[in-house]
Amino acid sequence: MTEPLIQTRHLCRYFEQSSDITVKAVDDVSVDIEAGEFTAIIGPSGSGKTTLLHLIGGLDNPTAGDVLLNGQNIAKFSAGELSRFRRDHTGFVFQSYNLIPVLSAEENVEYVMLLQGLDAAKRKQRVAETLAQVGLSEYGSRRPNKLSGGQQQRVAVARAMASHPDIILADEPTANLDSKTGIALLDVMKELNETLGMTFVFSTHDEKIMKRASRLIHMVDGKIERDERKTP
Amino acid sequence: MLLLRLAIRNLTRNTRRTVLTIMLISFSLTSLIFAEALTLGMLDILVNSVTKNLVGEAQVHKPGYRENLDVDLYLNETDQIVDQLTSDPAVQSVSERVIAGGMLASSYNVATGLMYGIDPAAEAKVTQLKEALITGDFLSGKTGEILLGDELADLLEVELGDRVVMTLSEANSGELAQALFRVSGIFHFGISAVDEGVVFTNISQARQVLTLTSQQSHEIAIRFHDADVAKSKQAAIFAQLNNDETETLSWLELNKSIASIIEISGLSSWIVGSILFVLAGLGVINSMFMSIYERIYEFGVAKAIGTTPARIAGLIFTEAFLIAVFSCIVGAALGYLLGSYAEVHGVPMGEFEVSGIAIDNRIRLRLELYQFIQYPIYVICLTLAAAIYPARFAAKIIPTEALQRSL
Repeated sequence: MTEPLIQTRHLCRYFEQSSDITVKAVDDVSVDIEAGEFTAIIGPSGSGKTTLLHLIGGLDNPTAGDVLLNGQNIAKFSAGELSRFRRDHTGFVFQSYNLIPVLSAEENVEYVMLLQGLDAAKRKQRVAETLAQVGLSEYGSRRPNKLSGGQQQRVAVARAMASHPDIILADEPTANLDSKTGIALLDVMKELNETLGMTFVFSTHDEKIMKRASRLIHMVDGKIERDERKTP
Repeated sequence: MLLLRLAIRNLTRNTRRTVLTIMLISFSLTSLIFAEALTLGMLDILVNSVTKNLVGEAQVHKPGYRENLDVDLYLNETDQIVDQLTSDPAVQSVSERVIAGGMLASSYNVATGLMYGIDPAAEAKVTQLKEALITGDFLSGKTGEILLGDELADLLEVELGDRVVMTLSEANSGELAQALFRVSGIFHFGISAVDEGVVFTNISQARQVLTLTSQQSHEIAIRFHDADVAKSKQAAIFAQLNNDETETLSWLELNKSIASIIEISGLSSWIVGSILFVLAGLGVINSMFMSIYERIYEFGVAKAIGTTPARIAGLIFTEAFLIAVFSCIVGAALGYLLGSYAEVHGVPMGEFEVSGIAIDNRIRLRLELYQFIQYPIYVICLTLAAAIYPARFAAKIIPTEALQRSL
């Protein structure tokens, strides 16, 4: 049996709001995510789904517990180590304003590969490939302000996958999109999941994502209330 | 390349702010270059007033003579000293002087003053006495010629051709001696002490009155090929002619007040420069912070996708460096244009006196190459130093906190 792609062990993230009030955003969460899953972390606002996503992606350090990605415990990484970890192993798609506004769509996609130190020819090839995969080959030279919200999110997906990460983490990626654009974006991601086997983890309220997800992790008050796997 | 491309585009995002920041820094640089060149121009006037008018660039005396200008403390065998001086390759020319204090009387008034007995030809090569004449003729070597300052001539109420009598003490004996002169010329140096208290006669007559031989003088004024030799005392004569019999001093040592002014002016340039640079530095910090605060979410995203803190700091430093370079180009160009104009036409400052020296109402600036190399380097270093705090702040942005910021 292969090791899960992501494992969290008794993961906790507490925020001290004042000397006597501590918010337990994530409280003793242990969960495994396999490679190739299309997982949605769902729950009401304040349930800790975004915090859990950030912990999994190395954007935040846990108060206690471990996060293992491919067996590597990232919970104790320094800021610099986490930056390099995110660059090489994770891709992020946020709600909105994902892109660097002064760079064109192509340059935004190329950005992480530049950080990785890939050579120009390889970068160019991957930029063309990934923009084609999200259906934006014609829009490469446009800056974000010349793209629609849906197009910007697709560029963000292209950027997330261009560095060939182990996992793509998406925090409410459809929240600022209209229904039609949101469905189109999800279809792109689902197709990438099915054809390339890319692992996606979402934090979301969106019914459309829940419908497409192969697994739903329900969170309430920082804890996993229910872990539901759909049968294909 | 990525950093450079990003930095250039970030700077052009808010063109107005970038231009204002560049203007702030470049005007500071221009002001510094201008102020420094103006100071140098004023110092040139001061130094020339001292070295070209009377003092020369260095002087040889008998040790102790300068304390009270004792007429008995004269140099002996001056022909040997003059030979030694003129054989020094650094020395351009020398002028022997016989000096004595006395009383000068005209038909209308009486005044005290210093009589300088000079060799007209030699003196003309060391000082600008000849050029300072405003009326009459320069000394020709004839007995009875005397040159008076315009203020002294006014005091004595004399004009060209009028008679004046100088009463002074002979050297060695201390006996009173008198000599009759006719005013042959009136000069104006713009130095009150000289214009109202010094007269020039021929050295042969002065020696005769003071009973000195042709090998005896009180002072030998020196001019060098390169004026800086005096400042650094590089010439061999400073070592050779400082002994029990002779004391050789540069004009800086002979004019302590001017030397102090030069020293203070250097310090004041530093103070002015520091104030300008601190203000410009605060402007840079403010501008960089505004720019960072506007982009906090963006930095959050950049860090989330793997940009290291060092790279974020590098971006801020690159932006600061570009601002500094543009500012230096603009500031130096503006400084050169304004400075060049004022170098030719002068800056009207009104008439004023510094240490008894009347400053012309226009000061011509002196631009130097170092002002366009050294100061821009300071500007770049300062701008980068000012960017340390914003860069550190940006590098420490926590992605999760930045991403929670509403836009």
